[in-house]
Amino acid sequence: MSIVTVQLGQCGNQIGYEVFNAICSDFHSTHGICSKKENESYQEACKERFFSEEKTGVPVARAVLVDMEPKVISQTLSMAARSGHWKYDHQSHFCQKQGSGNNWANGYSVHGPTYRDVIMNLVQKEAEKCDRLSGFFTVMSMAGGTGSGMGAYVTQCLRDAFPTSFILNQVIWPYGTGEVIVQNYNSVLTLSHLYQSSDALLVHENDAIHKICAQLMNIKKISFRDVNQVIAHQLGSVFQPTYSSEGASQYSRSPLGDLMESLVPHPELKMLGLRNIPQMSENSLAYSTFTWPGLIKHLRQMLIAHAKMEEGIDWQVRPPLPGHPVPPKASPNQALHFNTSVANLVVLRGKDVQSVDLGGFRDPALYTSWLNPQEAFHIWKTPRAFNKYEKSASLVSNSQFLLQLMDNVVGKAWNMFASKAYVHQYTKFGIEEEDFLDCFTTLEQVISSYASL
Amino acid sequence: MWRGRAGALPAAIGALCRALPPGSRPAPETFRLAKFDRPEASLQIWRLLYSLLKQIHDGGWTELDTIGTQIRFVKSVLWYHGYGRPEFYQLPSDSSQGSRELLLAFSWLLNRISLLEQLLTVNRVKIRDEASVCTCEDNLSNSWKDRTEIALEPCLKREVDVRYLQWLNGRLRFQWRSLHVESQEQCKLLHKIHSYTSGCHMDQTIGHFSVTETDLIRQPDSYKQLLQSLESETSRLEAFLEWKRLEPVYWHWMETVLDTLSEDANTFKSEDVCKEKNTLPNANLCCHIASNIIGEIDKLTKDLVTLHDGLHELVTCKKSAWYEKVKSRERTLPDEREFCAAVRTITEAVKLKLSDLKYHCAHKKNGMHGPYRLVFKDKRSASKTGFLSSVSKEPITNVVNATEVISKLQMEEATLKRELKRLQEECRHKLDEIAEGLVGVICIPPMKR
Repeated sequence: MSIVTVQLGQCGNQIGYEVFNAICSDFHSTHGICSKKENESYQEACKERFFSEEKTGVPVARAVLVDMEPKVISQTLSMAARSGHWKYDHQSHFCQKQGSGNNWANGYSVHGPTYRDVIMNLVQKEAEKCDRLSGFFTVMSMAGGTGSGMGAYVTQCLRDAFPTSFILNQVIWPYGTGEVIVQNYNSVLTLSHLYQSSDALLVHENDAIHKICAQLMNIKKISFRDVNQVIAHQLGSVFQPTYSSEGASQYSRSPLGDLMESLVPHPELKMLGLRNIPQMSENSLAYSTFTWPGLIKHLRQMLIAHAKMEEGIDWQVRPPLPGHPVPPKASPNQALHFNTSVANLVVLRGKDVQSVDLGGFRDPALYTSWLNPQEAFHIWKTPRAFNKYEKSASLVSNSQFLLQLMDNVVGKAWNMFASKAYVHQYTKFGIEEEDFLDCFTTLEQVISSYASL
Repeated sequence: MWRGRAGALPAAIGALCRALPPGSRPAPETFRLAKFDRPEASLQIWRLLYSLLKQIHDGGWTELDTIGTQIRFVKSVLWYHGYGRPEFYQLPSDSSQGSRELLLAFSWLLNRISLLEQLLTVNRVKIRDEASVCTCEDNLSNSWKDRTEIALEPCLKREVDVRYLQWLNGRLRFQWRSLHVESQEQCKLLHKIHSYTSGCHMDQTIGHFSVTETDLIRQPDSYKQLLQSLESETSRLEAFLEWKRLEPVYWHWMETVLDTLSEDANTFKSEDVCKEKNTLPNANLCCHIASNIIGEIDKLTKDLVTLHDGLHELVTCKKSAWYEKVKSRERTLPDEREFCAAVRTITEAVKLKLSDLKYHCAHKKNGMHGPYRLVFKDKRSASKTGFLSSVSKEPITNVVNATEVISKLQMEEATLKRELKRLQEECRHKLDEIAEGLVGVICIPPMKR
């Protein structure tokens, strides 16, 4: 049940570091209210999942770091080693000197094939260290050149080399007003290529996380580090060990498998969104108490009303009444009110998880017509609390969360493409206009599948 | 004649009962009651048949079935094995009568499918180092499972959203992948055990511990359970040997059972005429299995006939071409000695090829069914075994090389892949034809990788 993480590009490496950090601090957290035995089996499961043993006793993260520039990787390696609690394997990284210049085609058609063997060698070594390889978790951003372009190529190679493993891509959606002019092209190309090889795409939006930092965490000057830490917290709250079925006697040995089977069996519907509640600064945490009914109610409304965090939720949005189906939208650009889900997964951690009532999530009105809630809704639980949160709930949702986002990006990219702006940068490296058209078509298909839920 | 061996019959039946697995032992009295068709015995024998047949076919997975379901299962298994007594299938589902018929069925199974031998094989103490190399399907389990599934879902005729089917297909794929991950893990751990404990085993030909033995070392207290199971197995084997010795007594006795049966049948023949014609327990159930098999047989016969014809054609073609060649060659005959030498080399080459073919066919007939024990042979120690083999007592029969199995499976995989590709092409053609028929629709194929 080990997961091998592949950190791609600057963004991927920084976030990957924060994820391992969050997991490690959760590992050592003494806040858990559960029994000692429970805590021990949790820690054992966590260790096997993310770290491998080494003679020195310091756990080594199961990760491969890839970047075209040396700066971020060396920073990441040294920060991890300094922590004393964990580190990276210093052999398990690959970097070059030149960078990709935010050019997707450069990353995909040039760097990818050139360094494919070296990178796959590193991945193979990590995979062999695992007794049981649950799958691969890649972290990348969509806007740049290395993470997105080379990341798409590496995902393809992973799929070719490990046809039966599960691959989950963590994708960072750039700021709407991002610095990279061609980020929309990069996003479109990345998404369409990932859709062919990956099993699921888990999306985090920089804009949304930024708001969380500003409003919930009360951070005045928000740095990338803060954003990354929030993302890492959310990911950790999903991927730390849980019991994935009622009456299970041991922690799930197949986290990625369970996730995939619950949420993304349909080949057209692979986009996942992640929400986590509660999220607040550590100072406020000490003075807050939570109740499960309150948390669940908020989480459910966040799902229904497309909310990105627990503040500013639109409570007016209601699920459609039976017999009154949601009217088909004239165009996806209309503000979506109600979020129809394909499937949802709720992860509960902390005190009194056994008593939580999740009936609200089993309402058939929340889900698309062709899937009933017994098959569409899943729960993972553990009595062991996560980090400093006495009770926390996460929602991984395969729903129309990302429909608007995708539509915007595709629309903007298409406008640029129609005027052939910057296309020569891509054709220079072998990405032709037909390839662009293929990508647009694929994404339009995905958008239409989600819109017609 | 058997009166002289009055003590032998109870001994035989006792041995038979002791040779059966511990959970499914009938009282010897049941046999006597069954001979006289006593109704008390019928429920016991139904239960006995159910549990024994489940062990052979389903690995002993007994669900909490009602007696009605159990009876249906037993009837279907007997039908599968070819038991043809209509009176058996007419027995009621409440197990109120028919113990003599059941006794006949039981004895038929004993003889026909070597029931005892199969049970002993299935219930051996496991060393958990096993792998199976045969790729045959168990037709019965498949069709039985299909039946129960469809019986639960009578509403299959309603319209289903194709997206739901895609969903289910995806889930199936993911579950298959998880299974793959699990079996890879098992292989890896087994390899670890074998390599870490190499050189420890007393039996030099094996050289390493099995999973059960390793477990015993880690948890010494579990030796009691292991000892108990081994003792139970030994006593069953001893009972089996005794049974084999006394078997003729049992069959003599069964003849008397048949005699009583025919006596009763003559008296009650008039009643049978009024019985319903519904001889098959569950017409759909058995017909489905039967029609499956019949369908397959028909297909095979058709294929064989086409192959035969094709082969015949080829042979005639080749023959005529060959005669032409021979005629043209006859004109340029080399001198006799060279000719004879050439003929000799040709005959030898042909013999070699034929023997190869024969070996291949014979080897296939053995079929590699049933479980095999996995033995890990390190490449380095291969040279050492060369010395040991001269010392070992008897050659090990039924040894299969992992590399052979792998190459065989790879060939099968290649054939299946070709078949899949062919079917995919067919599907693509069909879809293209349909797409051409649609007006105002553009079909865009999925993105190439």
